[in-house]
Amino acid sequence: MVGAIPAPRAPAVGESAEVRYALIAATVVFLGTFLLAPLALIFTVAFGQGVAAYFASFRDPDSLAAIRLTLLAAALAVPANLVFGVCAAWAIGKFEFAGKTLLMALIDLPFSVSPVVAGLIYVLLFGAQGALGPWLTAHNVHIIFAVPGIVLATIFVTFPFIARELLPLMAAQGNDEEEAALTLGASGWQTFLRVTLPNVKWALLYGVILCNARAMGEFGAVSVVSGHIRGLTNTMPLQIEVLYNDYQFVPAFAVASLLTLLALATLIIKSLVEWRVGAGRAHAARVS
Amino acid sequence: MSITVQNITKRFGTFTALEGVSLDIPSGRLVALLGPSGSGKTTLLRIIAGLEVADTGVVRFDGEDFSTRTARERRVGFVFQHYALFRHMTVFENIAFGLRVRPRGTRPSGRRIRVRVTELLELIGLQNQAGRYPSQLSGGQRQRVALARALAVEPSVLLLDEPFGALDAKVRLELRRWLRQLHDEVGVTSVFVTHDQDEALEVADQVAVMNCGRVEQVGSPEEVYHRPATSFVYNFLGNVNLFHGRVDDGTAYIGAEATGHLVFVRPHALEVARRPVSANFFRATTKHINAAGPVVKVEAVTEWGAPVRVEMAPERFRELALRAGEEIFVTPRDPAIFTNNERAG
Repeated sequence: MVGAIPAPRAPAVGESAEVRYALIAATVVFLGTFLLAPLALIFTVAFGQGVAAYFASFRDPDSLAAIRLTLLAAALAVPANLVFGVCAAWAIGKFEFAGKTLLMALIDLPFSVSPVVAGLIYVLLFGAQGALGPWLTAHNVHIIFAVPGIVLATIFVTFPFIARELLPLMAAQGNDEEEAALTLGASGWQTFLRVTLPNVKWALLYGVILCNARAMGEFGAVSVVSGHIRGLTNTMPLQIEVLYNDYQFVPAFAVASLLTLLALATLIIKSLVEWRVGAGRAHAARVS
Repeated sequence: MSITVQNITKRFGTFTALEGVSLDIPSGRLVALLGPSGSGKTTLLRIIAGLEVADTGVVRFDGEDFSTRTARERRVGFVFQHYALFRHMTVFENIAFGLRVRPRGTRPSGRRIRVRVTELLELIGLQNQAGRYPSQLSGGQRQRVALARALAVEPSVLLLDEPFGALDAKVRLELRRWLRQLHDEVGVTSVFVTHDQDEALEVADQVAVMNCGRVEQVGSPEEVYHRPATSFVYNFLGNVNLFHGRVDDGTAYIGAEATGHLVFVRPHALEVARRPVSANFFRATTKHINAAGPVVKVEAVTEWGAPVRVEMAPERFRELALRAGEEIFVTPRDPAIFTNNERAG
């Protein structure tokens, strides 16, 4: 055996070249068919009758109203869930109390319940025939088939995003730094602003981005409570459906292209923040 | 500032962490709370700091009842086991934190803060690391930053939870001498928790040995080592051989069947000979010999089948020319005898 040269070997977990290429090809074909082609189609149809027609779509007052309503719903739902998410993650991540597991399960509820059901819950609660309906009608408060219902439904479907993103990080970081801040004379508020918040800022931003994307794109729950009143209670996704059903393909796809651009922007920011969160977590691991 | 804790009890669910603990910590002293894990020493430290609330009992600072004061009001410097440095702040900002969060009226100016932090950086020898983040420091450096941060607010007492627990052996030795020196310079009443008896005996003025939520003995390192009050203390401070025995007319008999008393003998107090040198001996067979290091460690089995550890000087070892598997005659000197954990003789 002296002088024998061992035959070159594939890495222990390596597959042969054919298998690797086959796997890559399958992934590319799948992504191409189900993601890239539809994406390309949206822009192809939106610009199908020229750039002028594309931009003319946004001069339609109903579409403009839909864009404004979507922005309004997101502008209300995201801050609401920001406050709620931080409170919930702080309570669950840093304290021990009875019913903690139940609270965590409740936070996840909007993920497991169909959005349509979520919308229906609000209709049954606030609708004309609903539990609180007569009282609301008597006091001239309109929730269902009006803007407040859309905002409520949006808040409901998006509320796990921020809490879910913060929870594991806050639990992993523990209470040590907060306790250190307290012994150094910081008040509760100072501790929160100077220690707790800076430690979770990237995860928080990540949660806000996901929450915003979902708030703008939500269809099911909003569809149930909206009533589809053109120019009043249609959000962008609902307006797209209405336009499409009217065979107005260019305007429908033009509005759709806006949502698509939002999704792409979200994806890019998400990747950037993920990279920062990853760095932050590695950083945290090194510190502890 | 002196600290007095009286009759402190603390339970976590069904687990009793502290059971009627009382302790006096005189002003300006460096006191060690020594005990195995689960003995309640960290809980006691956290109760003194106000990070944990006792179920019953009183904590006094200079005689004044501080039991209901918050951690913030107690003005203690607390050094956490894993340092708990603010990971998003530089070394400088970590140390400055306690000064920056003071209410507007008592907050020092930016210039005064810089002067104070620079002083502390010099004290811990990290002047050149002011702009670094905790993750860029070694364990020993982090520990020193944590200490400087606690000292920045001029605490009334300094509390340290396992201050050297997470460091490697060499840095640990260096840092504990440094802590002793620092205490002599600063002079603030300090309490530290440790499970390492060498650390407690070397660094502290006074050692409180804890076990199962109680204080077993309080005394100077010399007292607790040479005059242990209970079998637990004797056992915990240094290596021991435990024999079961009985005491008749002031003479202890040890062996397989003798019962009623616990007889402890330190490994270095067992004299080994090739043949009986007095009437007071037992036979044993050597099993394993470790001759590396300043003392030679011999593991043997007694004639009644119990393991026994002997330590001797290398000179004596060479004189005897011992090997594994040989018969030896062992004479115990200076035994400590306990009945039911209380010292009997």
